[in-house]
Amino acid sequence: MTGLGYTLPAVLSVIVVCVLESKVLRTGLFRKPAYWISMAIVLGFQVLVDGWLTKLSAPIVLYNERHHSGLRFPWDIPVEDFLFGWSLVTAVLLLWVKQGQPRQNGSKR
Amino acid sequence: MDKWQYLLLLGGCLLITLPLEFLGGGVYRQPRRLFRSLAPVLAVFLVWDAIAIVADVWHYNPRYVSGINVPFMPLEEFLFFIVIPICGLLTYTTVSASLRRLRQLRDKAAQRSRR
Repeated sequence: MTGLGYTLPAVLSVIVVCVLESKVLRTGLFRKPAYWISMAIVLGFQVLVDGWLTKLSAPIVLYNERHHSGLRFPWDIPVEDFLFGWSLVTAVLLLWVKQGQPRQNGSKR
Repeated sequence: MDKWQYLLLLGGCLLITLPLEFLGGGVYRQPRRLFRSLAPVLAVFLVWDAIAIVADVWHYNPRYVSGINVPFMPLEEFLFFIVIPICGLLTYTTVSASLRRLRQLRDKAAQRSRR
């Protein structure tokens, strides 16, 4: 663990998504129970799919051990994958919800 | 058979979540909205992924991928960034619709008991 080529961008991606919501999009998604229930379901399936992709006995994705924290949980999933997955899914959900909302005052229609 | 593993895994994700299209408000039937939600995020993650591959942060086991490549990465990895967010959207739209239905039922029950 010297490069942090995965750990650092994974943490940054979460921060970027949070700033995007709080400063730009302001959808209110994080206050919706539907979002947190959905993410719990997504997390459950991520463990299954990601667990399969990363299992060290027959890995589909191989990580350079120098570039992540070395923490793998559960099974052999690098913990960074959960930040990566959270950012990916949440960013798309934010844009989806934003488009379903009426435009703020200031712009026409 | 092994080289289709990653592709089959993604296909399984799409298959399992397909019924949600009909339980929630729909994702595939709003293609414009889907595209506009997905495209910007896809662009960012593809760049991230390409850099990670070039910098040898991670790579893919040739045994378990089809061998079909798009620039910088296996086709499977490109599809991953489309399939997984779609599964997330289908989950969210279904959970939202279910909560809405529950709320309506509860309101109706409350109205009836008030009479």
